[in-house]
Amino acid sequence: MSQPSMTSTGEAVATGFELDRIPRPVLAREADSTYWMSRYVERVENVARLMLVSVESLLDARDLAPKLLERQWQSVLRIMHVPLPSDSHEPMPQRVSTHMTFREDNPSSLIASLTRARENARGIREGISSDMWEHINLLYWNIRSEEARSRFNEAPAAFLQQVITGAMTFHGITDQTLPHDQRWYFAQLGRHFERIAFTCRTLQDKLALAAAQTAPGDAPLRNVQSVAALRCCNSLEAYRRAYPGELEPSTIAGFLLLEGDFPRSIRYCVNAARGAAAAIREEVRPRSVDLAERTLGRLQAQLAYADADEVLGRGLSAYLDQIQEQTGQAALAVQKCYFLH
Amino acid sequence: VLEDNGRTPSGVSYVLENRVIMKRVFPMLFGAYRVRRIEDYPYNLLRTLKHCAPVHADEPTVAILTPGVHNSAYFEHSFLARQMGVALVEGRDLVVENSFVYMRTTAGLRRVDVIYRRVDDEYLDPLAFRHDSVLGVAGLMNVYRCGNVALVNAVGTGVSDDKAIYPFVPEMIRFYLGEEPILANVPTYLCARDDDRKYVLENLDKLVVKATNESGGYGMLMGHQATKEECRAFGEKIKSDPRNYIAQPIVQLSQHPSFVDDHFEGRRVDLRPYILYGEKPIVMPGGLTRVALRAGSLVVNSSQGGGSKDTWVLEEEAARPVNGQEKSA
Repeated sequence: MSQPSMTSTGEAVATGFELDRIPRPVLAREADSTYWMSRYVERVENVARLMLVSVESLLDARDLAPKLLERQWQSVLRIMHVPLPSDSHEPMPQRVSTHMTFREDNPSSLIASLTRARENARGIREGISSDMWEHINLLYWNIRSEEARSRFNEAPAAFLQQVITGAMTFHGITDQTLPHDQRWYFAQLGRHFERIAFTCRTLQDKLALAAAQTAPGDAPLRNVQSVAALRCCNSLEAYRRAYPGELEPSTIAGFLLLEGDFPRSIRYCVNAARGAAAAIREEVRPRSVDLAERTLGRLQAQLAYADADEVLGRGLSAYLDQIQEQTGQAALAVQKCYFLH
Repeated sequence: VLEDNGRTPSGVSYVLENRVIMKRVFPMLFGAYRVRRIEDYPYNLLRTLKHCAPVHADEPTVAILTPGVHNSAYFEHSFLARQMGVALVEGRDLVVENSFVYMRTTAGLRRVDVIYRRVDDEYLDPLAFRHDSVLGVAGLMNVYRCGNVALVNAVGTGVSDDKAIYPFVPEMIRFYLGEEPILANVPTYLCARDDDRKYVLENLDKLVVKATNESGGYGMLMGHQATKEECRAFGEKIKSDPRNYIAQPIVQLSQHPSFVDDHFEGRRVDLRPYILYGEKPIVMPGGLTRVALRAGSLVVNSSQGGGSKDTWVLEEEAARPVNGQEKSA
């Protein structure tokens, strides 16, 4: 559509495509919504997987320890910091699973997170791709549809697997349809911050359960818990390839914490978040370092040179607390710097 | 001509989307009939908006101002922003400083030169109009008066939407352009005139009475369908505020075959054209055919259950764009 213009030497040059053009600015509100949209979708995936693991692994554990059933479901609530619903008298599994799936007044339920993800997406429809919008809209109406509850009751595992696949597909669509500029990096930040927090809390909870089973006769139970921890973080297969035949809680913790190129490990997510923070800062304020990037950079260095035995010796849970605090600070810094003008 | 719309050319996203759907469903018809393209509307709109930019802006920044996701036309706002590749802003994204208007971006404030606003006049600036508006931008009108931002359409164009102004439009055309109107107006009685009001009150059952400042099919009386009681009540309203009402004979809108359940039936339609006026006027070779979906109804407004149809202007008929042939889905 553009008209050719003339240079000083009289050559005609097309002016349509310019590599050095100034990118269209991103509204602070758009950045904010992109970040939260992505963060909520990641949360949906994690909560769904957490429940899926509880649904499935209990089939193995039922004979070993009937009480474990209750503890497993309580751990779903603990990991997501959700108080035990008191207004229901159903047995624990149903009580927790309905609460975490369809209850709108529970901010961590699948339906609540999906609703917020979609609301954020809706406010920035022109800033994301149509494919992204259509997909998230579909996920939203799927969980809101009338037969969603009956599908869930009939085959909870299939239902949850569908939610997980839907959330993962959304990230895939995002990666392939959104230019990898500022907006995409804000989505990356949201996704990785959420994953770091989730993985930290899951490790703290599940590995504590496993470590509590110390008697020699408890080995099968301990293994069930260890496998559950890995499955909750979608890391079982990758872990098995790295450490065949090994199920020590400390090895699992080291893997999920420090593995460099596995997308579910905390170190990988910190690297990715730092990279995203740096890319955004580079576009907005070249040649400077902001607080988010500095905080994440320090954490990245700390994880890169960490010694697994040393970390575990000093106490895994305290170390994970510290990581959560630092990523929390970085997330706050991002909000202050880019969302609140 | 049934009415004039000088405020917001709403519905254009339906025109474009209807065309997309028709092309998907009947691809073979388009080649055979040589239907004129309307897909460049967003491009023309953007060019028109840039043309309106204040002189100081070399590379003008254009933004669409929307009331937000809860507005019934939000889809259209976001659709146009996507099509034109410009920012879609809400009032809270804009801020006035030093008589310029800026949007809040991740990199701080960025100046905005042209605002294609889809927020009504009254809500545009709480300092100038409604004080309780949270949709607008405080100080925007001042920036506008300083000539530092272009508002499209300008504030006050709603005057031409006023149904009591409508009967004077043919005179305006003669006075300002020295031309005869090509399309005639519907005869209109102004209730503010004593003679007209008398006639209206005596013939309520044969007329359509409309409130002058309403749109969307609200505040109107269809005389031939109303009960005696409704007519009487409406007559009282007219007497208490004559300036607020006009009346017209019932216009039998064109009928058009429409697909109902499993067969075709006649339904009433009207046509809304879209005209951009920047450097030169551009009339979209197409438009929004609005259809009254209920049998026998003459009300085509989408807020009253009306639908819409894709509208074709064929190559051969390019000289008479407004009378384009219509095909229904």
